[in-house]
Amino acid sequence: MAEDRVPTWEDVARRYGRKIYSFAYRLTGNPDDASDLVQEVLLRVRKGLANYTPGSFEGWLWRITRNAFLDDVRKKKRRPTTVLPDDDRAVVGASPSPDEVLASVRLSDDVQAALLKVPMEFRECVVLCDVVGLSYEEISNTIDAPVGTVRSRIHRGRKQLRGLLTWPM
Amino acid sequence: MADVNKTESMEQAAFTGVESVCDIGELMSAYLDGELRDGELEQVVAHLTDCLECIAEFHELKEARTAVRMLPMLQVPDRVMPAAHYGPELSAFLDGELTADEQVMIVAHLQTCTDCLLELQDLDAARTAVRSMPGVEPPIPLMPRIPVRSQRTSLKRLAIAAAGFIGAAAIAINMASSGPEATPVDLDEFADRHTVRVSVEDGLTGVPIFMHGSTP
Repeated sequence: MAEDRVPTWEDVARRYGRKIYSFAYRLTGNPDDASDLVQEVLLRVRKGLANYTPGSFEGWLWRITRNAFLDDVRKKKRRPTTVLPDDDRAVVGASPSPDEVLASVRLSDDVQAALLKVPMEFRECVVLCDVVGLSYEEISNTIDAPVGTVRSRIHRGRKQLRGLLTWPM
Repeated sequence: MADVNKTESMEQAAFTGVESVCDIGELMSAYLDGELRDGELEQVVAHLTDCLECIAEFHELKEARTAVRMLPMLQVPDRVMPAAHYGPELSAFLDGELTADEQVMIVAHLQTCTDCLLELQDLDAARTAVRSMPGVEPPIPLMPRIPVRSQRTSLKRLAIAAAGFIGAAAIAINMASSGPEATPVDLDEFADRHTVRVSVEDGLTGVPIFMHGSTP
Protein backbone atom coordinates (compact mmCIF):
# COMPACT_ATOMS: atom_id res chain seq x y z
CA MET A 1 0.00 0.00 0.00
CA ALA A 2 1.39 3.36 -0.99
CA GLU A 3 2.88 5.25 1.95
CA ASP A 4 1.45 8.60 0.88
CA ARG A 5 -2.15 7.53 0.58
CA VAL A 6 -4.62 7.09 3.38
CA PRO A 7 -6.36 3.77 2.75
CA THR A 8 -10.05 3.38 3.24
CA TRP A 9 -11.40 1.12 5.92
CA GLU A 10 -12.49 -1.33 3.24
CA ASP A 11 -8.91 -1.37 1.89
CA VAL A 12 -7.62 -2.33 5.30
CA ALA A 13 -10.24 -5.03 5.77
CA ARG A 14 -9.54 -6.56 2.40
CA ARG A 15 -5.78 -6.30 2.35
CA TYR A 16 -4.93 -7.03 5.95
CA GLY A 17 -7.89 -8.97 7.31
CA ARG A 18 -6.32 -12.37 6.70
CA LYS A 19 -2.95 -11.31 8.07
CA ILE A 20 -4.48 -9.90 11.21
CA TYR A 21 -6.55 -13.03 11.66
CA SER A 22 -3.55 -15.29 11.07
CA PHE A 23 -1.45 -13.23 13.48
CA ALA A 24 -4.07 -13.57 16.22
CA TYR A 25 -4.73 -17.21 15.52
CA ARG A 26 -1.07 -18.17 15.59
CA LEU A 27 -0.67 -16.36 18.89
CA THR A 28 -3.78 -17.72 20.58
CA GLY A 29 -4.64 -20.94 18.76
CA ASN A 30 -8.26 -19.94 19.19
CA PRO A 31 -10.46 -19.06 16.18
CA ASP A 32 -12.97 -17.11 18.27
CA ASP A 33 -10.26 -14.97 19.85
CA ALA A 34 -8.77 -14.39 16.42
CA SER A 35 -12.14 -13.31 15.01
CA ASP A 36 -12.72 -10.98 17.95
CA LEU A 37 -9.33 -9.44 17.41
CA VAL A 38 -9.95 -8.80 13.72
CA GLN A 39 -13.21 -7.04 14.51
CA GLU A 40 -11.63 -5.01 17.28
CA VAL A 41 -8.71 -3.98 15.09
CA LEU A 42 -10.99 -2.96 12.25
CA LEU A 43 -13.07 -0.88 14.64
CA ARG A 44 -9.97 0.87 15.94
CA VAL A 45 -8.71 1.41 12.40
CA ARG A 46 -12.03 2.93 11.40
CA LYS A 47 -11.87 5.38 14.27
CA GLY A 48 -8.18 6.06 13.82
CA LEU A 49 -8.23 6.67 10.07
CA ALA A 50 -9.87 10.06 10.60
CA ASN A 51 -6.74 11.28 12.36
CA TYR A 52 -4.20 9.14 10.56
CA THR A 53 -1.31 11.02 9.01
CA PRO A 54 0.11 9.33 5.93
CA GLY A 55 3.33 7.59 6.84
CA SER A 56 4.23 4.06 7.71
CA PHE A 57 0.76 2.61 7.49
CA GLU A 58 1.78 -0.95 8.28
CA GLY A 59 3.68 0.15 11.38
CA TRP A 60 0.58 2.00 12.55
CA LEU A 61 -1.68 -0.95 11.77
CA TRP A 62 0.45 -3.52 13.58
CA ARG A 63 0.79 -1.33 16.63
CA ILE A 64 -3.01 -1.16 16.78
CA THR A 65 -3.23 -4.89 16.26
CA ARG A 66 -0.75 -5.70 18.97
CA ASN A 67 -2.33 -3.29 21.44
CA ALA A 68 -5.77 -4.72 20.72
CA PHE A 69 -4.41 -8.20 21.27
CA LEU A 70 -2.82 -7.31 24.60
CA ASP A 71 -5.96 -5.51 25.73
CA ASP A 72 -8.02 -8.55 24.85
CA VAL A 73 -5.72 -10.85 26.79
CA ARG A 74 -5.85 -8.56 29.81
CA LYS A 75 -9.61 -8.15 29.60
CA LYS A 76 -10.27 -11.84 29.49
CA LYS A 77 -7.67 -12.39 32.16
CA ARG A 78 -6.68 -15.66 30.81
CA ARG A 79 -3.69 -17.00 29.10
CA PRO A 80 -4.04 -17.83 25.45
CA THR A 81 -5.77 -21.15 25.09
CA THR A 82 -4.20 -24.21 23.56
CA VAL A 83 -7.14 -25.20 21.39
CA LEU A 84 -5.80 -26.98 18.39
CA PRO A 85 -6.84 -25.61 15.07
CA ASP A 86 -9.98 -26.95 13.50
CA ASP A 87 -10.20 -24.52 10.66
CA ASP A 88 -6.59 -24.67 9.71
CA ARG A 89 -7.66 -26.46 6.56
CA ALA A 90 -8.39 -23.23 4.80
CA VAL A 91 -5.26 -23.51 2.74
CA VAL A 92 -5.53 -21.40 -0.35
CA GLY A 93 -3.45 -22.11 -3.38
CA ALA A 94 -2.86 -24.88 -5.89
CA SER A 95 -4.84 -28.09 -5.56
CA PRO A 96 -2.69 -30.57 -3.63
CA SER A 97 -3.40 -34.29 -3.41
CA PRO A 98 -5.36 -35.68 -0.40
CA ASP A 99 -2.15 -37.08 1.08
CA GLU A 100 -0.46 -33.71 0.77
CA VAL A 101 -3.42 -32.00 2.39
CA LEU A 102 -3.40 -34.40 5.34
CA ALA A 103 0.35 -34.11 5.75
CA SER A 104 0.12 -30.34 5.58
CA VAL A 105 -2.64 -30.25 8.20
CA ARG A 106 -0.71 -32.52 10.58
CA LEU A 107 2.37 -30.38 10.05
CA SER A 108 0.43 -27.19 10.71
CA ASP A 109 -1.17 -28.66 13.82
CA ASP A 110 2.19 -29.72 15.20
CA VAL A 111 3.79 -26.37 14.56
CA GLN A 112 0.79 -24.50 15.97
CA ALA A 113 0.81 -26.63 19.11
CA ALA A 114 4.54 -26.07 19.53
CA LEU A 115 4.17 -22.32 18.99
CA LEU A 116 1.65 -22.11 21.80
CA LYS A 117 4.20 -23.57 24.19
CA VAL A 118 6.74 -20.87 23.44
CA PRO A 119 6.53 -17.94 25.90
CA MET A 120 4.31 -15.18 24.57
CA GLU A 121 7.00 -12.51 24.31
CA PHE A 122 9.12 -14.78 22.08
CA ARG A 123 6.12 -16.16 20.18
CA GLU A 124 4.93 -12.68 19.38
CA CYS A 125 8.21 -11.74 17.74
CA VAL A 126 8.45 -15.03 15.83
CA VAL A 127 4.92 -14.63 14.49
CA LEU A 128 5.44 -11.00 13.52
CA CYS A 129 8.62 -12.00 11.70
CA ASP A 130 7.66 -15.30 10.06
CA VAL A 131 3.88 -15.10 9.70
CA VAL A 132 3.29 -11.39 9.21
CA GLY A 133 6.62 -10.79 7.48
CA LEU A 134 7.82 -7.67 9.31
CA SER A 135 11.48 -6.66 9.50
CA TYR A 136 13.26 -6.44 12.85
CA GLU A 137 12.97 -2.67 12.69
CA GLU A 138 9.22 -2.86 12.06
CA ILE A 139 8.79 -5.35 14.89
CA SER A 140 10.81 -3.05 17.10
CA ASN A 141 8.40 -0.20 16.36
CA THR A 142 5.38 -2.44 16.78
CA ILE A 143 6.26 -3.81 20.20
CA ASP A 144 8.09 -0.68 21.30
CA ALA A 145 11.33 -2.45 22.16
CA PRO A 146 14.91 -2.08 20.88
CA VAL A 147 15.95 -3.99 17.78
CA GLY A 148 18.44 -5.93 19.88
CA THR A 149 15.59 -7.20 22.04
CA VAL A 150 13.65 -8.22 18.96
CA ARG A 151 16.64 -10.10 17.62
CA SER A 152 17.14 -11.92 20.88
CA ARG A 153 13.48 -12.87 21.23
CA ILE A 154 13.23 -14.21 17.70
CA HIS A 155 16.32 -16.29 18.20
CA ARG A 156 15.19 -17.70 21.53
CA GLY A 157 11.71 -18.34 20.22
CA ARG A 158 13.01 -20.32 17.27
CA LYS A 159 15.37 -22.33 19.41
CA GLN A 160 12.60 -23.33 21.75
CA LEU A 161 10.28 -24.08 18.90
CA ARG A 162 12.77 -26.37 17.23
CA GLY A 163 13.26 -28.20 20.48
CA LEU A 164 9.53 -28.74 20.72
CA LEU A 165 9.09 -30.05 17.20
CA THR A 166 9.72 -33.75 17.47
CA TRP A 167 9.15 -34.88 13.90
CA PRO A 168 12.04 -35.04 11.48
CA MET A 169 12.31 -32.06 9.16
CA MET B 1 34.62 -34.19 29.61
CA ALA B 2 34.50 -30.59 28.59
CA ASP B 3 32.90 -31.63 25.27
CA VAL B 4 30.22 -33.61 27.09
CA ASN B 5 29.36 -30.62 29.22
CA LYS B 6 29.27 -28.43 26.16
CA THR B 7 26.94 -30.82 24.36
CA GLU B 8 24.64 -31.02 27.35
CA SER B 9 24.46 -27.29 27.63
CA MET B 10 23.67 -27.05 23.95
CA GLU B 11 20.83 -29.55 24.28
CA GLN B 12 19.49 -27.74 27.30
CA ALA B 13 19.67 -24.48 25.44
CA ALA B 14 17.52 -25.91 22.66
CA PHE B 15 14.70 -26.57 25.12
CA THR B 16 15.01 -23.66 27.48
CA GLY B 17 16.14 -20.84 25.30
CA VAL B 18 19.40 -20.44 27.20
CA GLU B 19 22.15 -19.17 24.96
CA SER B 20 24.62 -21.66 23.57
CA VAL B 21 28.21 -21.74 24.75
CA CYS B 22 29.33 -19.85 21.65
CA ASP B 23 28.94 -16.13 21.68
CA ILE B 24 27.42 -15.69 18.24
CA GLY B 25 24.09 -17.07 19.56
CA GLU B 26 21.33 -14.79 18.37
CA LEU B 27 23.39 -13.51 15.47
CA MET B 28 22.53 -16.72 13.66
CA SER B 29 18.81 -15.93 13.53
CA ALA B 30 19.59 -12.42 12.37
CA TYR B 31 21.89 -13.96 9.75
CA LEU B 32 19.01 -16.14 8.53
CA ASP B 33 16.77 -13.10 8.28
CA GLY B 34 19.35 -10.86 6.62
CA GLU B 35 19.27 -8.56 9.63
CA LEU B 36 22.95 -8.46 10.61
CA ARG B 37 24.63 -5.14 11.17
CA ASP B 38 27.95 -3.97 9.79
CA GLY B 39 30.82 -6.28 10.65
CA GLU B 40 28.62 -9.01 12.08
CA LEU B 41 28.36 -10.93 8.84
CA GLU B 42 32.09 -11.64 8.73
CA GLN B 43 31.99 -12.70 12.37
CA VAL B 44 29.17 -15.18 11.82
CA VAL B 45 30.54 -16.60 8.60
CA ALA B 46 34.01 -17.04 10.13
CA HIS B 47 32.55 -18.77 13.16
CA LEU B 48 30.28 -21.07 11.18
CA THR B 49 33.25 -22.21 9.15
CA ASP B 50 34.84 -23.84 12.18
CA CYS B 51 32.19 -24.56 14.81
CA LEU B 52 30.29 -27.78 14.13
CA GLU B 53 27.92 -27.21 17.05
CA CYS B 54 26.88 -23.84 15.72
CA ILE B 55 26.49 -25.22 12.22
CA ALA B 56 24.07 -27.80 13.63
CA GLU B 57 22.27 -25.12 15.60
CA PHE B 58 22.07 -22.94 12.53
CA HIS B 59 20.31 -25.73 10.63
CA GLU B 60 17.88 -26.25 13.49
CA LEU B 61 17.04 -22.56 13.59
CA LYS B 62 16.47 -22.65 9.88
CA GLU B 63 14.11 -25.60 10.25
CA ALA B 64 12.12 -23.84 12.96
CA ARG B 65 11.89 -20.73 10.83
CA THR B 66 10.75 -22.75 7.82
CA ALA B 67 8.12 -24.58 9.91
CA VAL B 68 6.49 -21.30 10.95
CA ARG B 69 6.75 -19.76 7.52
CA MET B 70 5.07 -22.79 5.99
CA LEU B 71 1.99 -22.29 8.13
CA PRO B 72 -0.88 -21.41 5.82
CA MET B 73 -2.41 -17.96 5.80
CA LEU B 74 -5.88 -18.39 7.27
CA GLN B 75 -9.19 -17.33 5.86
CA VAL B 76 -11.14 -14.85 7.96
CA PRO B 77 -14.64 -16.12 8.84
CA ASP B 78 -17.35 -14.34 6.86
CA ARG B 79 -19.12 -13.04 9.92
CA VAL B 80 -16.04 -11.06 10.90
CA MET B 81 -15.91 -8.90 7.82
CA PRO B 82 -19.37 -8.83 6.27
CA ALA B 83 -18.82 -5.43 4.68
CA ALA B 84 -15.51 -6.16 3.06
CA HIS B 85 -16.24 -6.78 -0.60
CA TYR B 86 -14.11 -6.43 -3.67
CA GLY B 87 -15.06 -3.76 -6.15
CA PRO B 88 -12.58 -2.46 -8.70
CA GLU B 89 -10.38 -5.49 -8.15
CA LEU B 90 -12.95 -7.78 -9.74
CA SER B 91 -12.53 -6.25 -13.19
CA ALA B 92 -8.77 -6.36 -12.83
CA PHE B 93 -9.15 -9.98 -11.74
CA LEU B 94 -11.10 -10.79 -14.90
CA ASP B 95 -8.43 -9.17 -17.02
CA GLY B 96 -5.57 -10.96 -15.27
CA GLU B 97 -4.12 -7.67 -14.07
CA LEU B 98 -3.69 -8.51 -10.37
CA THR B 99 -0.64 -9.73 -8.52
CA ALA B 100 -0.45 -13.38 -7.50
CA ASP B 101 -1.23 -12.49 -3.87
CA GLU B 102 -4.25 -10.43 -4.83
CA GLN B 103 -5.54 -13.23 -7.04
CA VAL B 104 -5.27 -15.73 -4.18
CA MET B 105 -7.18 -13.37 -1.89
CA ILE B 106 -9.97 -12.88 -4.40
CA VAL B 107 -10.27 -16.57 -5.24
CA ALA B 108 -10.58 -17.34 -1.53
CA HIS B 109 -13.12 -14.55 -1.04
CA LEU B 110 -15.24 -15.67 -3.99
CA GLN B 111 -15.60 -19.11 -2.49
CA THR B 112 -17.67 -17.69 0.33
CA CYS B 113 -19.05 -14.33 -0.82
CA THR B 114 -22.15 -14.62 -3.00
CA ASP B 115 -22.37 -10.85 -3.51
CA CYS B 116 -18.92 -10.61 -5.04
CA LEU B 117 -19.49 -13.75 -7.09
CA LEU B 118 -22.67 -12.29 -8.61
CA GLU B 119 -20.89 -9.00 -9.29
CA LEU B 120 -18.08 -10.89 -10.96
CA GLN B 121 -20.59 -12.68 -13.18
CA ASP B 122 -22.21 -9.37 -14.14
CA LEU B 123 -18.85 -7.85 -14.95
CA ASP B 124 -17.90 -10.88 -16.99
CA ALA B 125 -21.17 -10.69 -18.94
CA ALA B 126 -20.61 -6.98 -19.65
CA ARG B 127 -17.03 -7.61 -20.66
CA THR B 128 -18.05 -10.45 -22.98
CA ALA B 129 -20.83 -8.32 -24.52
CA VAL B 130 -18.41 -5.51 -25.33
CA ARG B 131 -15.79 -7.84 -26.67
CA SER B 132 -18.27 -9.65 -28.92
CA MET B 133 -19.41 -6.47 -30.68
CA PRO B 134 -18.53 -6.45 -34.39
CA GLY B 135 -15.80 -4.20 -35.62
CA VAL B 136 -16.93 -0.97 -37.35
CA GLU B 137 -15.23 0.38 -40.47
CA PRO B 138 -14.35 4.06 -40.16
CA PRO B 139 -15.80 6.48 -42.77
CA ILE B 140 -13.58 6.67 -45.85
CA PRO B 141 -12.79 10.43 -45.57
CA LEU B 142 -11.28 9.69 -42.15
CA MET B 143 -8.92 7.12 -43.56
CA PRO B 144 -5.40 8.49 -43.94
CA ARG B 145 -4.03 8.56 -47.45
CA ILE B 146 -1.30 6.05 -47.53
CA PRO B 147 0.93 6.39 -50.63
CA VAL B 148 1.47 3.17 -52.52
CA ARG B 149 5.06 3.01 -53.56
CA SER B 150 5.54 0.20 -56.00
CA GLN B 151 8.62 -0.16 -58.15
CA ARG B 152 6.54 0.40 -61.25
CA THR B 153 5.19 3.69 -59.88
CA SER B 154 8.64 4.85 -58.94
CA LEU B 155 10.00 4.14 -62.41
CA LYS B 156 7.08 5.95 -63.97
CA ARG B 157 7.70 8.99 -61.80
CA LEU B 158 11.38 8.88 -62.66
CA ALA B 159 10.57 8.77 -66.38
CA ILE B 160 8.20 11.74 -66.04
CA ALA B 161 10.79 13.70 -64.10
CA ALA B 162 13.49 12.87 -66.66
CA ALA B 163 11.22 13.91 -69.53
CA GLY B 164 10.45 17.14 -67.77
CA PHE B 165 14.11 17.80 -67.21
CA ILE B 166 14.99 17.08 -70.85
CA GLY B 167 12.18 19.30 -72.07
CA ALA B 168 13.25 22.14 -69.81
CA ALA B 169 16.84 21.73 -70.93
CA ALA B 170 15.82 21.81 -74.59
CA ILE B 171 13.84 25.00 -74.11
CA ALA B 172 16.71 26.59 -72.20
CA ILE B 173 19.19 25.69 -74.95
CA ASN B 174 16.85 27.02 -77.57
CA MET B 175 16.42 30.30 -75.73
CA ALA B 176 20.14 30.65 -75.22
CA SER B 177 20.91 30.07 -78.84
CA SER B 178 18.25 32.42 -80.06
CA GLY B 179 19.33 35.33 -77.96
CA PRO B 180 17.17 37.92 -76.32
CA GLU B 181 14.91 38.26 -79.36
CA ALA B 182 13.77 34.68 -79.85
CA THR B 183 12.21 33.67 -83.09
CA PRO B 184 9.04 31.56 -83.16
CA VAL B 185 9.65 27.84 -83.33
CA ASP B 186 8.26 25.85 -86.24
CA LEU B 187 7.05 22.74 -84.41
CA ASP B 188 6.95 20.53 -87.52
CA GLU B 189 10.49 21.44 -88.43
CA PHE B 190 11.56 21.01 -84.79
CA ALA B 191 10.07 17.54 -84.77
CA ASP B 192 11.77 16.59 -88.03
CA ARG B 193 15.10 17.57 -86.62
CA HIS B 194 14.84 16.07 -83.17
CA THR B 195 12.74 12.96 -83.48
CA VAL B 196 15.02 10.12 -84.29
CA ARG B 197 15.10 6.37 -83.91
CA VAL B 198 18.16 5.05 -82.27
CA SER B 199 19.79 1.96 -83.73
CA VAL B 200 22.71 0.21 -82.13
CA GLU B 201 23.17 -2.55 -84.68
CA ASP B 202 25.87 -0.81 -86.69
CA GLY B 203 27.01 1.77 -84.30
CA LEU B 204 25.03 4.72 -83.08
CA THR B 205 23.14 6.14 -86.02
CA GLY B 206 20.39 8.60 -86.20
CA VAL B 207 17.55 7.66 -88.59
CA PRO B 208 14.98 10.29 -89.26
CA ILE B 209 11.42 9.18 -88.63
CA PHE B 210 8.42 10.88 -89.87
CA MET B 211 5.76 12.56 -87.91
CA HIS B 212 2.10 12.01 -88.55
CA GLY B 213 1.10 14.02 -91.59
CA SER B 214 4.61 14.70 -92.83
CA THR B 215 6.06 13.39 -96.09
CA PRO B 216 9.13 11.16 -96.36
